[in-house]
Formats: sequence, structure tokens, C-alpha cells
Amino acid sequence: MQHGIFSFLKTTLGVALLTAGLSATQAQAQELRVLTHSSFTVPKPLLAQFEKENGVKLRITKAGDAGEMLNKLILTKANPIADVVYGIDNALAPKALAADVLEAGAPAAAGRKPVAELPAPLVPVDYGYVTLNYDKAWFAKNGVALPKTLDDLTQPAYAKLLVVQNPATSSPGYAFLLSTIATLGEDKAFDFWAKLRANGLKVAKGWTEAYYTEFSQNGGKHPLVVSYATSPAAELFYSKTKLAEPPTGSLSLPGAVFRQVEGVALVKGGKNRAAAEKFVDFMRSAPVQTGMQTEMWMFPAEAGVAKAEAFKFAPEPTAFSAPSDADIAAKGAEWVARWTKVVLK
Amino acid sequence: MQAVARRTGVFARWWLAAVPLAFLAVVLVAPALRLLAEGWGAESLWAPWQDDYLRGRLLWSLAQAAMTCVATLLLGLPMAWVLARWEFPGRALLLRGLMLPFVVPTLVAAMGVLAFAGPNGWLSRWGGPDLQGTPWLLLYGNLFFNLCVVVRAGVDALSSVSAARVAAARSLGATPWRAFWRVEWPAVAPWLASALCLVFLYCFSGFGLALVLGGQNYATAEVEIYTLVAHELQLGQAGVLSLWMLALTAIVAWGYAFMERRLATPARADAILRRCPQGWVAWGAVVAVVLIWMLICAAPLVSIARGAMNSGAMAWAVLTDEDTLSALSNTAQFSALALALATGLGLAHALAAQRVLWLRTLVFLPFIVSPVMVAFGLLLLYPQWSSSFGVLVAAYALLAYPFVAKSLAARLDSLPAHYLEAARSLGASPWRCFWRVTLPLLAPALRRGMAFAAATAVGEFAVSLFLSRPEWATLTTLIYQHLGKPGADNLAAAQVLACVLMGLALLAFVLIEWPTGEDEARA
Repeated sequence: MQHGIFSFLKTTLGVALLTAGLSATQAQAQELRVLTHSSFTVPKPLLAQFEKENGVKLRITKAGDAGEMLNKLILTKANPIADVVYGIDNALAPKALAADVLEAGAPAAAGRKPVAELPAPLVPVDYGYVTLNYDKAWFAKNGVALPKTLDDLTQPAYAKLLVVQNPATSSPGYAFLLSTIATLGEDKAFDFWAKLRANGLKVAKGWTEAYYTEFSQNGGKHPLVVSYATSPAAELFYSKTKLAEPPTGSLSLPGAVFRQVEGVALVKGGKNRAAAEKFVDFMRSAPVQTGMQTEMWMFPAEAGVAKAEAFKFAPEPTAFSAPSDADIAAKGAEWVARWTKVVLK
Repeated sequence: MQAVARRTGVFARWWLAAVPLAFLAVVLVAPALRLLAEGWGAESLWAPWQDDYLRGRLLWSLAQAAMTCVATLLLGLPMAWVLARWEFPGRALLLRGLMLPFVVPTLVAAMGVLAFAGPNGWLSRWGGPDLQGTPWLLLYGNLFFNLCVVVRAGVDALSSVSAARVAAARSLGATPWRAFWRVEWPAVAPWLASALCLVFLYCFSGFGLALVLGGQNYATAEVEIYTLVAHELQLGQAGVLSLWMLALTAIVAWGYAFMERRLATPARADAILRRCPQGWVAWGAVVAVVLIWMLICAAPLVSIARGAMNSGAMAWAVLTDEDTLSALSNTAQFSALALALATGLGLAHALAAQRVLWLRTLVFLPFIVSPVMVAFGLLLLYPQWSSSFGVLVAAYALLAYPFVAKSLAARLDSLPAHYLEAARSLGASPWRCFWRVTLPLLAPALRRGMAFAAATAVGEFAVSLFLSRPEWATLTTLIYQHLGKPGADNLAAAQVLACVLMGLALLAFVLIEWPTGEDEARA
């Protein structure tokens, strides 16, 4: 017994020291601290190439959902945890600007006109559309016609079919709420949400919960979900057996489409400005703009970069709606609080 | 023991206590206070009770914890009685099997519970209800995790009931039922009460399970704190709410520490011998125990394994991905480091807290302080270290070390004093005494505590609240990454990885705990 416990403790300690030693041996070059949301994916060879060309070591930190990430940036404003931030979108930009956490630099990319705009100093990197997705098999099997307007969703025929994300905890949920407010006007929009609630609206915490536990395509009960216009293309891309067409479709109902533009910017008070500017340019460079498309499932913001082959199943909606930046800045938090009261409380 | 404690002096104890206390102060208390200070004054202390919504959350948190306690007691006590009194084939295996849920990572458990009791789960396919969107899903999840706590405590307690007393009662004409109520029950009640305190603590201040299973309508106050801090930046409201949670849980934690110390009695010599069950009633009871175990503890885990099996051979190819391999090595690395740190801290804390009630209560601090408050507090207090390796390992150790300390504290209480006294009177130094006598005597409890700590570290869900870098992605993060993209491949990959994570946690547990004798083991 004595031998047992001693050799066992020694083994544990030994393994721990070994791993600590291994991790300490990675020498540090000059660091560029990048803050991103958790969906950030850029092919690793490109990141390595950036490090080599600019003589810096990238220290990428993932800080959760975009909203959570921005909150962390705002909290640590006095002593920023990053030099450059990627993932603030047009719905969050007003809050970021009001909190004064971003800084203008002079990256070359800022001078080129992007496909989708963002308020400066954010430099657009990619864009996508938050919209309704539907489960094709479910609608075919149950003989229900697809909804044609937002108002249809409040009708008995569509009772208990829709799942949305909570705008307080999810960026697509917030984007969807903003598009309804822009189309219907504030009061009518909340009437609409009250009717949706009465009609059996399901609310999930975030995209993952909505898509993987509530959406009927993945074993849930709801054949309508708030997702992205590119999701059907991704469904096809990641399907097990090669399908001829996606099992889901996107529905561009008028008033239910929000164009989300994600950008990159320098963090106020951050270090290493030259490298940070280089990183902004890097995100808009052709290889990154091409490589990230089927990783993050967003369209490239750099004009002239070809769209991925997979996107032929992701038609871009022609119309979308969003409140003005000033309105979002002034009333965004209030809208979320009101939504919580109308839909959840 | 007392003689030694006197001679080694109070100073040694305080030096020992200083290590975990300093750790708690730096990694937990200071960050939480820092975050509290950030939002202080924005809300009145009574605000959570005046607001209908927040009051509802608090009351639901209390209600679901209380309901879980009642349910675990009603199911757990009869199960414990059967396991403690009857000897049947597979009994030892069943006792071990009961611990399975406790060592499974929260995220995996939640996925399993959903796969079993959610829409399209086995339960609804067999004609049972679909629990998703109802409060029962969270209650089922709670039961899944906590049933073993009550059963193990019940078995330990019932095994130490004096055989002579029960025999006396029986020979004086008491029915088995009466003998149970008048002799066995008074002896086991305090043990069960202490186990129920623990169950209450886990359910009331639990975060991961409630986040995934509670949904929007049955989220607990702990989940509300997370939403307020991480997403709404309402630090004032979150701070006040977390203070109330802390006050409520501190009472229960103190109660637990108090009872646990009173229960400190060396094991009895005249334990009741287990008999072979005879007659169809007895065998029926054994079968019922096995069925309950399958329905509550095994079903969600089997669902996970089945999900992974059904995802097809292609999905298992995810295991050879570069990302998966690096996540596997990260998980192993973090777990090993966290385990080493947690063991040191747990040993120091348990030894120092032997007779100090408030120190014992402090063991629960990492359980009862909201991990969200700690994570954001760390960010505010030490922004320069926020995404450093050390902080992340410290976070893992913080959440794992109470298991080591708790297990050791319970064992220390029942340690016979005469070995140490003999060693001391033969001239051994206190240090030598500890090394040659106390530590070997503690070995089974230490192993058990470390097993729990390791299993916790392997799949710790709350750690995802702390800042992390992609190169440190663990299996848990990787599962979330796959669930963050649409497509059948991603779902299948997540299912396979969840199965692997479950296997790893079990492996860590079995490797560390297996040599421990069953009778010495105590959760």
C-alpha cells in the first residue's frame, strides 16, 4: 500500500512537470494579441505565413459569442487584453463605438471599397444574412405551405413551428429582432413578437441549441429556425452521403432578413500598432478572403474575390432591413429588455 | 491524533492552511470581489426579491434543488438498503456503476440526457413523454448526477449500523419494518442529511447542467447570473443576485461541514452481514434496483455511445484530425497539471481544516461562487494574465480540488489515533509521521478524491467561461466548435467526440480509483 501511493503521487507529479516543461519551452517572439469570437477560423498555414512575414507571434484569444467578446473588451478597456479585434458586426458596432474601445489605424484595406460597409474604424471582412431556414422534408411530409410573410408566422397553421435564439444571448437572435423592428416599427414589432409567443414560439439560448436540439432537421420538433442564408449550402457541404441538393432551405421573408457585416479593428490602447494594421490588411487579403468562406460560412467583403463553389446553394437575399446605427446605439439594450419582457417573462 | 495535533502546534496548521487560502484569495475571492465592486451600488440589495422575474428564478433554483433532494432520497434510500443488506452477483459492479454519472463531463451528460429524454429520444420512442421544454428535463438531469451521492452515503451508513442492536430489536419481536424505523433509520439519518446537503449544493449552484437542460423557461439563478454578466453586462444586478446565492449556499455548505464533522466515528466492528436475497419479494427488489439504475444512471450514457455508433464509420475519422489530436493532448495536459495542483491544494486544505469548521466550509467556496463572476473578475483584475496558461490551469484546479479536500476530510475524521501516537512515542518526527503513517492511511481516500478531480478536469464545462486560445482547445471546446456549424458531419463528429470524452473521463477515474477497496471508498 505504501509503495502504491508514493509511486502513484510521483507519477502524477512527474507527468505534470513534464507537460509544464513542454509548454514552457515555446519561446515567445514579439506578440500580436488578437481577440475574436469563437467562430473565428482562418486556415492555419495562412496564419503561420503571416507570422513569418511580419516577424510576430499571433496570440489569438477566443472570447465566446460576439456579444460576450465585446463585453470583455469593454470591461478591460483601461488595460486592454488585445491589440486587434475581429468579429464585431454592424449590430454590435454602435455599442463598441459608444464604449470607445476601437481606434482608427491606417491599414491599406480601409481605403478599398468593400462589398458591404461598416462604420469606421471597423474594416469589413465578411458578411452574411441572418434569415429563416426550413426543413424541406418536414414541409413536404406534412403538406404545409411555406410561410410568405412575417405575419403568416403568427397564424395557427404555423403554431409551434418556429424556434428563434434569445437576442440577449445570441448574435443571430439579436440580428433577427433588429430586422423585425426595422420593418414593422418598434411597437408593431413587439405586438408581432407577442403574437408569436401566443402562437407557441420556441426560444433557445444560442444558435447551437436552436439548430442542434430544436430544429427538426437535427431531431428537434421545429421545422423553422433562425439561421444563415448560407446554412443550406453548409448542410450540403458537410452531408454524409453526397446529396444533390441541400436538405434545408433559406426563406427570405420580407422583414426577416438581416445583413450581418463582420469587421476587424485596432483596439484602443493596444500595443504593436504596425503589426495590428498588417493584421487588418491580412484579413482582407485574397487568400484569407477565399480560405475563410467555407470555414466561417460568410461571404467575402473584398470586392473581386470569387465566391466559393459551395455557395451556389446560398443565393444572396435581395432585400434586408436594419434600424439606423443611431437607433441601435440608443435603444439596442432597451429593445432586448423589452423583448425579454414580451416573449419570456 | 489530538496529541499529535497539539505537539505539531497551531503554527504548522496555519502554514498548511495558508497555501489553499492564498490560492482561493488570489484566484477566487479577489476576482469575485473586484467584479462585485464594479457594479456595486447600481442595485439595491433587495432588488432580486422585488423583481418578479428574478424572484421566479431564485425560487425555481430553490425548488428544483429541493425536489431533487426529495427524489434522490425516495429512490436512493431503498436502493441503498438493498445494496447494503443483500449480497447478489454483480453487486460490487453495480455500486461502481452508480458512480458513472458523477464522473461524466457535464456537457456529455447533458447531451446524453437530451438524447434519451428529449424529442426523438428513446423515452419518447418507447411511448414515454418528451421532456424537452419541461421542468422535468432538468430534474431528470439532476437525478442522473446526484442519485449516486445519496445511495453511496446510504450504503456506507447502513453498513455501519450495529448488527447487535438490530438483532436485539428483532429478537424482542420487532418487525423488520419497525426495526428499520427504530434502529436503522436513526443511525443513518445524519449521513443521509449530509448527503442531501451536498445534493442541494450541487443542484442549487450547479451551472453547466442547468444552462444546457433548463432551457429559457427553467433556467436557474446561476444561469441568470451568467446571462447578466456575459451578455448584458448588468454587473450590478448580477452582483446582488450572486450575493444572495452565496448567502443561501453558504448556510447549506456550513450545515454540511458541521454534520460531516459530527459523523466522524471510526467504523464499527459488528457490521451486519449481507445475506443472499430469498423469495420473490427480495429478488424483485434487486431487479427494481437494477432497473432504476439503468433508467436513471445508464440510459443517458448508453444513448451517447449509441449516438456515436450510429454516426457511421466516416464520422470516426474525426479522431485522426489534426485538431482532434491536439485537443486530446491538450485535455491530457490540462488534466495532469490541474490534478497535480488540485492534489497539493486538497491535501493542504483537508489537513489544515481537520478541526476547524469554517475552514471546512471554505472547501465549498469553488462550488458556490459563480464561475462566471470568477471568470470575469479575473479578466478585470489581471488583464495582463487573462489568457495565460497559468490562469487556465489554476481555473481547472480551482474547480477540481474540492473533490480531493472533501474526500480526505471525511477520511481524516475516522482515522484511528493510536497509530500516530505510537509512531510519535517511538520518536518519529511529525513530518516522518505524516509521510509514513498518515499518508498511507489516507491513500484510498486520496486516490478517490483525485479520481473525481481528474474526471472533473477532463471535461470541465465551466472552464469554457475563461479565456482560451485556439492552440489550447480541449475536447469540450472542440465539441462546441463542431456544434457551431450546420451539417450532419458536424453533428456526427460532436457525437463521436462526446463519446471519446466520456471514455477518457471514465478511464481517468478507473485508472486512479480502481485499486481502492470498495469498503474503504466513500464519496
